[in-house]
Amino acid sequence: MSALLEAEGLVKRFPVRDALGRRAGAVHAVDGVSLSVAQGEVLGIVGESGCGKSTLGRLLLNLITPDAGTVRFSGDDLTRLSASALRARRRDMQLIFQDPFASLDPRMTVEQAVAEPLRLHRIVPRAQERDRVAELLSRVGLRPELARRWPHEFSGGQRQRIAIARALASQPKLIIGDEPVSALDVSVQAQVVNLLSDLIRDLGLTFVLISHDLGVVRHVADRVAVMYLGRIVEQGPAEDVLSAPKHPYTRALLAAVPGHGAKAPPIEGDVPSPIAPPPGCRFHTRCPFAVERCRTDQPALGDGLHRVACHLADSLPPPATRPDRLAGGERLRRLQSFFRAPGPLPGAPA
Amino acid sequence: MTTVLEVSGLTLDFRQDGRNLRVLDGVSFRVEAGRTLAIVGESGCGKSVTSLAVMGLLPGTARVGGAIRLGGRELTALSAEERRKLRGGEMAMIFQEPMTSLNPAFTAGEQVAEALRLHQGLDQGAAFAEAVRMLDRVRIPDAARRARQYPHQLSGGMRQRVMIAMALACRPRLLIADEPTTALDVTVQAQILSLLDEMKRETGTAVILVTHDLGVVADHADEVAVMYAGRIAEQAAAATLFASPEHPYTAGLLGAAPGEGARGERLASIEGTVPDLRNPPPGCRFAPRCPFAIVHCHNEAPPLAEVAPGHVSACWRAPLDGVLAAA
Repeated sequence: MSALLEAEGLVKRFPVRDALGRRAGAVHAVDGVSLSVAQGEVLGIVGESGCGKSTLGRLLLNLITPDAGTVRFSGDDLTRLSASALRARRRDMQLIFQDPFASLDPRMTVEQAVAEPLRLHRIVPRAQERDRVAELLSRVGLRPELARRWPHEFSGGQRQRIAIARALASQPKLIIGDEPVSALDVSVQAQVVNLLSDLIRDLGLTFVLISHDLGVVRHVADRVAVMYLGRIVEQGPAEDVLSAPKHPYTRALLAAVPGHGAKAPPIEGDVPSPIAPPPGCRFHTRCPFAVERCRTDQPALGDGLHRVACHLADSLPPPATRPDRLAGGERLRRLQSFFRAPGPLPGAPA
Repeated sequence: MTTVLEVSGLTLDFRQDGRNLRVLDGVSFRVEAGRTLAIVGESGCGKSVTSLAVMGLLPGTARVGGAIRLGGRELTALSAEERRKLRGGEMAMIFQEPMTSLNPAFTAGEQVAEALRLHQGLDQGAAFAEAVRMLDRVRIPDAARRARQYPHQLSGGMRQRVMIAMALACRPRLLIADEPTTALDVTVQAQILSLLDEMKRETGTAVILVTHDLGVVADHADEVAVMYAGRIAEQAAAATLFASPEHPYTAGLLGAAPGEGARGERLASIEGTVPDLRNPPPGCRFAPRCPFAIVHCHNEAPPLAEVAPGHVSACWRAPLDGVLAAA
């Protein structure tokens, strides 16, 4: 598989100013991140708030300029493209945001919102615009008759479907979803997760899913990168990382997912400030296994399919087993099978 | 077991655009000392207004019906002033966003001390000393120093610990925690929830945990009430509810949460959206979205009926084993 997207040594710092506007340090949002996403692959980027995952998403699309490092998209270094070349490239990469209430223009009907990228990138002749919008809306499970309505007439789940239709309009190769289902109620979230899985499969999309929700990531990602304080601490096939985590932080994160009643006490303390990240391994201040070396030497991510940035990765005790209290039994699975519709569900009228 | 709170037939109505809006329609439950009842449901199901009704924090335009008894005392019969005196003393509440419930102009210690002065009559010095002790008990490191800091100087997790210290300072009989960890990161959430469990065990406080997160319920609740569109759909001991739900909504909700299930397997998705309470369906409110609904479900609302000892479900088709056998 060839890489569609390749990032090398990305660094982004945001200056912090004091009350008088003087420079008072910088937030080390992303600090030396390299990753690649193969054509047709789904990469999940997980981590808690402030770990730099959203900044990384914007760097990958070159929506913000890195302080160091490169991003290659189908071979082109995005950071070196001219403004017009970059604009043309935008057609191939789209972003879906968390909040569908903020990402749609309230003064545009659904049809206008979805048609805008069609027109901008000259995807179809004007005469075919309406048909294409109808096609895109049914693709995301919305009735085409709803095209003349306004965003405020729709629920959160329906708005997120509209945002997805808009993202699909330019026929992108890559979509980055920044917490695309986090603002939705669980039953609606399931509808949108199912929709995204269908689209990824049917359209062969390359997808980067940025999320704090390990359940959602486990459900759709092929590969997972775990971030902590601006760095990737573990990366590998989703099944390996989420079922046999090697980094103490990944373990702690998984143990903290509610519904698994981890026996071990939760890790202590808060995430340190990204303005003054700790030296050595950034997790050492909260790590139950940390030794002297962790306080001074920064561990490298290493090589191979399943990579981990931890000095002790090979000598740690096996992670605690995690009972799944939500799994239920055969009876529950049978009950739930009645809720599984074969394809994208039609949107209910607003 | 002592029943601390008993709510029966709770109704809540608002006037909206000249029409009546029934937000809660006959909600009943009880909470025992030292136990946690989780009220779980999606946005708009009525879980938060239920807790506000119990606390007496609803606006004057709300009309509350039914009975709310705290330790045998009927709260709906009390004056506003009498109910105010209960809050922070016999009953306390913590909210989702600690930043908006803490006063930015007072230090953490002063805010915890205020509750102690008002409800326990301690003088300033004694109250502050007790406040520091409480902050230490909710495991705020270096509590004496933190007590002198303002909310903006504390992290989100730390602020929620201050809220818990404030809520528990006067040893309330009932603590309502409304989405107490929804704004927090998952590792901090785990810390706060296990702290709440520990405090409950130590003090014997009855806890109502309002949440949308079934995982949180599975780990931290003894009893669960599932709410849908202003009514209780199902109620049971937590283990029973997760192992063998008897309401289709509960089963669907459990399947909708992405968990350990196989990758790529479709999640159970509950078709459609929650009903508009201005114009609720005449029968079971879940019927329009229910794969098991029969004609009767659309015509008549099902009562909350016992399907097993301690397990109630508002479903005409419960017990659902019969439905599965027929399928």
